[in-house]
Amino acid sequence: MEPEDEIYENGGEQPARSKPIISGEQLDVEAYASLYKDRTKVARLLFIADHCNNEAMQLEALRMAYDEIKRGENTLLFREVVEKIGGRLGDKYGMDSAWCETVDRRAEQKKERLESELNSYRTNLIKESIRMGYNDFGDFHYAHGALGDAFKSYVRTRDYCTTSKHIISMCMNAILVSIEMGQFTHVTSYVSKAEQTPEALDQITIAKLRCAAGLAHLETKKYKLAARKFLETGPELGSHYNEVIAPQDVATYGGLCALASFDRTELKNKVIDNVNFRNFLELVPEVRELINDFYSSHYASCLEYLGNLKPNLLLDIHLHDHVETLYDQIRHKALIQYTHPFVSVDLHMMANAFKTSVAGLEKELEALITDNQIQARIDSHNKILYARHADQRNATFQRVLQTGGEFDQDVRSMLLRANLIKYDHNLRALRKL
Amino acid sequence: MGSMENLVTQIQGLSGSVEDIAHLHNILKLADEALHSESSMLSAVLDQVDPARHSLGYLYILEAFTSGPVSKEQALTLVPILARFINFCDAQQIRLAPDKFVSVCKRFKDHVLLIESPLRGVSPMRTAVRKLQTTFEHLTTLHPEFLLLCLLSKSYKIGLSVLEDDIFDIDQPRDLFLYCYYGGMICIGQKRFRKALELLHNVVTAPMNIINAIAVEAYKKYILVSLIHYGQFSTSLPKYASSAAQRNLKNFCQPYIELATTYSSGKIAELETYVQTNREKFDNDKNLGLVKQVVSSMYKHNIQRLTQTYLTLSLQDIASTVQLGSPKEAEMHVLQMIQDGEIFATINQKDGMVRFLEDPEQYKTCEMIEHIDSSIRRIMTLSRKLNAMDELMSYDPLYLTKVGRERQRFDFDDFDTVPQKFPI
Amino acid sequence: MDFGDLKEALASQSYAQIADICDHLMLQVAAEGVAFQEEWPYAIHLLGHIYADDINSARFLWKSIPSSVKENQPEVVAAWTIGQHLWTRDYAAVHEAIRGFDWSQEARGLVASFAEQYTKRMFRLLSSAYSTISVQDAALFLGMSEDDAANYVLRQGWDVDPASRMLTVKQQQAVTDQKLDPSKLQRLTEYVFQLEH
Repeated sequence: MEPEDEIYENGGEQPARSKPIISGEQLDVEAYASLYKDRTKVARLLFIADHCNNEAMQLEALRMAYDEIKRGENTLLFREVVEKIGGRLGDKYGMDSAWCETVDRRAEQKKERLESELNSYRTNLIKESIRMGYNDFGDFHYAHGALGDAFKSYVRTRDYCTTSKHIISMCMNAILVSIEMGQFTHVTSYVSKAEQTPEALDQITIAKLRCAAGLAHLETKKYKLAARKFLETGPELGSHYNEVIAPQDVATYGGLCALASFDRTELKNKVIDNVNFRNFLELVPEVRELINDFYSSHYASCLEYLGNLKPNLLLDIHLHDHVETLYDQIRHKALIQYTHPFVSVDLHMMANAFKTSVAGLEKELEALITDNQIQARIDSHNKILYARHADQRNATFQRVLQTGGEFDQDVRSMLLRANLIKYDHNLRALRKL
Repeated sequence: MGSMENLVTQIQGLSGSVEDIAHLHNILKLADEALHSESSMLSAVLDQVDPARHSLGYLYILEAFTSGPVSKEQALTLVPILARFINFCDAQQIRLAPDKFVSVCKRFKDHVLLIESPLRGVSPMRTAVRKLQTTFEHLTTLHPEFLLLCLLSKSYKIGLSVLEDDIFDIDQPRDLFLYCYYGGMICIGQKRFRKALELLHNVVTAPMNIINAIAVEAYKKYILVSLIHYGQFSTSLPKYASSAAQRNLKNFCQPYIELATTYSSGKIAELETYVQTNREKFDNDKNLGLVKQVVSSMYKHNIQRLTQTYLTLSLQDIASTVQLGSPKEAEMHVLQMIQDGEIFATINQKDGMVRFLEDPEQYKTCEMIEHIDSSIRRIMTLSRKLNAMDELMSYDPLYLTKVGRERQRFDFDDFDTVPQKFPI
Repeated sequence: MDFGDLKEALASQSYAQIADICDHLMLQVAAEGVAFQEEWPYAIHLLGHIYADDINSARFLWKSIPSSVKENQPEVVAAWTIGQHLWTRDYAAVHEAIRGFDWSQEARGLVASFAEQYTKRMFRLLSSAYSTISVQDAALFLGMSEDDAANYVLRQGWDVDPASRMLTVKQQQAVTDQKLDPSKLQRLTEYVFQLEH
């Protein structure tokens, strides 16, 4: 079985590529954009345009965003992208006032129509029609970029849901809008609402919900929980959720969060030996390789992959804010793991393994030792790290004497306080007499 | 004058047995008002009674005699009389009229301050403390007066001798506040920072309905000494501290809280800048000297932190990490810390390196065993005290009715047993 | 003022008691209202604290000395100079302060004894704080010429590298008394027994 086939069997428009899209090489914006559709595509392109320091790439992203927006009905966003392009792409990518007017006029008409329809449904009290009416309103607002109104409309359908399917649909819509609004607490709550529906969910929906939950945890810096959700995402996801996330993202987000937060056993059981997830990892071989390198203690290679990936990861709309933290945590884990099995470590060799200077490594180790993450001490003279074996007996004596001293002092001051309260109490009793 | 002669006779006659003295005490109480009204003539009467044998009578007369305002010249003649009485009086007798004794001693303190020789008061006041207190655990109103005289006369060392007692019984809350505050200052002067912290902590966490100036000043010093001694300071007070303290203390000590925050950055330059800009505030509080010690303690704590991380480190690296000017300065700091037993290390001048060692204490010496043994015994005594107090409280009818009122769903039996664990 | 005890302590070279004797006597005469300041042996008193390694007390005493005394009695100032260098840990300057004054007959024995004790203390400090130290620095700490210092430490088992003039410290094994009062052990055993049952 070819893993890639499995991933793509549902996403027919994806051609088999010889080259991975997320890699250490400069981002191929076109290929990247082709992973997504609808608004996340636009949002991601605009994010790249805002964050890359390369004008060619920026214009490429804006051009594609322009094309994509023009397929929709969001004139606000259209004006925004036109302004960003600022005429740099020629007349073809300039302001198209006629289009805007047409779209806006049509929107006005549509809105009126939807309103009158909804009113008539409401007078007739046909539940299903009202639901549809609100849903149409939600779609309408979403298409025009009125996210808050879209969210309200979708949520309002809730009272008119008659089947689990309706509930799921409501939840998925709410999730989609909330992700775009950056309201990740809503995401979490609608994911759990969807998961609580009595009927069994289909595999694709389950996979989508896992991704949404993963994103919510990622944004709230709960990397371990995020990793778990992404790792649980089934291969059925395919490109079915590409209005939010691509399978490549599942591999990257999940892989990095796992690396930053899992211990060695978890890494082995839940990532490396995870057949499902392996399918995702095949899409981003560099992430796969760096996880394997980390696990097999090839830190230099692992860090090199990470370093190469970094510029592209910083262009990712969801990962951008977390790259530094995740990288720091991964590096710390690597440093800790490296020192763990040894009684003594040659700092020159270690610095080599981590592609850093001995002085820099000393500073990093110093921070980790101070934080009690590594139990060792540095022989800066001979450039050796020695594991520290605390003398249990002496430590116990020390602790006992310290605790005794504290108890001594605490009891004495407690007795004093008790006497003061007693004094105060007696005084009041006397006054009463 | 006839009644006065009569009184003298009675004092002379009734200072022998316990019953006689009790009888005399009643007579004296009745005569007290008359004594005060004739206070100017009492000088001659004093000569007729003996401070050692007729202490109670002498005390009443002396109290009345000294009750008016005095000039500096009068103070000069009174001080020796008062000192002599304190030295010779009989502890049993004066304890019958502790209020009189306290006011006599307080006047004595006022007089020695008036004649600007606090040193004159130190020894008599210590005697007064010892005579007035029923046990060494008893904190008298004279304790803070004694400590104040020690501070003013710079006799810090003798102040320590009283601070070493574990006090529990208190006459007045104010006594404890002042005792702990002055005691804290004496311990700071003698660099007994641990003890100072304990005393100041008592002031800060004592039950109080409204915040008082002593607690505020104590808290300021507590912050500074915490930084000097531990290199850190936690702004949260323990939950047993009064809500008045919890709510207000920090607001009164803002520059000190900020100093502690700046300290926690570990950056000496930032700390120095902060101290420089707030110099006046610290100076007005008379804490500038202590603040300077805070600044220099940062080098120490930064070096101490290095010992947790490094086995060996060059003097050059130590100097640059803790922001000292030169390796030689770093060497001197390390040497001082070794001398004071604050770190264990050896300096290698040849290679310009320091090797940090583990605490060589092996907990095997006789001395250590004696220390452990005495700690255990101390703690056992304290636990017994705690149990006794707890028991006393559980039998107290007032306490029981209060608790019973608040928690009526419990049977009376519920309060009968002494709890095994005490929240401290 | 009865300086009998003090004279006796000085005569019998019981220098460790000087500070306490002086403290006690001072409080006593002060309480009696004697104007003692002009006649008080401040230099001896200061040196007594310094001898007892109680620099805090020496410092507070110095602060309480009337300025007229400080101006008229150079020996008091000289005694405090020692204390001041101890206070600021200017190790070498302590020796200079000791040598830099022509001490009176009374103080001479006390100062000499302190100097000897201080040199020993410095040697112990060097032994515990250094693994190698230059002859030059050792001489400063010990208050000797470089040759004398080298000879002094060589006698204690240290080594010297003549080329680099660097001394290698030989740690001295402190012998501690291991004799134990059996009753204490018995009591500790009882505690443990009680805790376990």
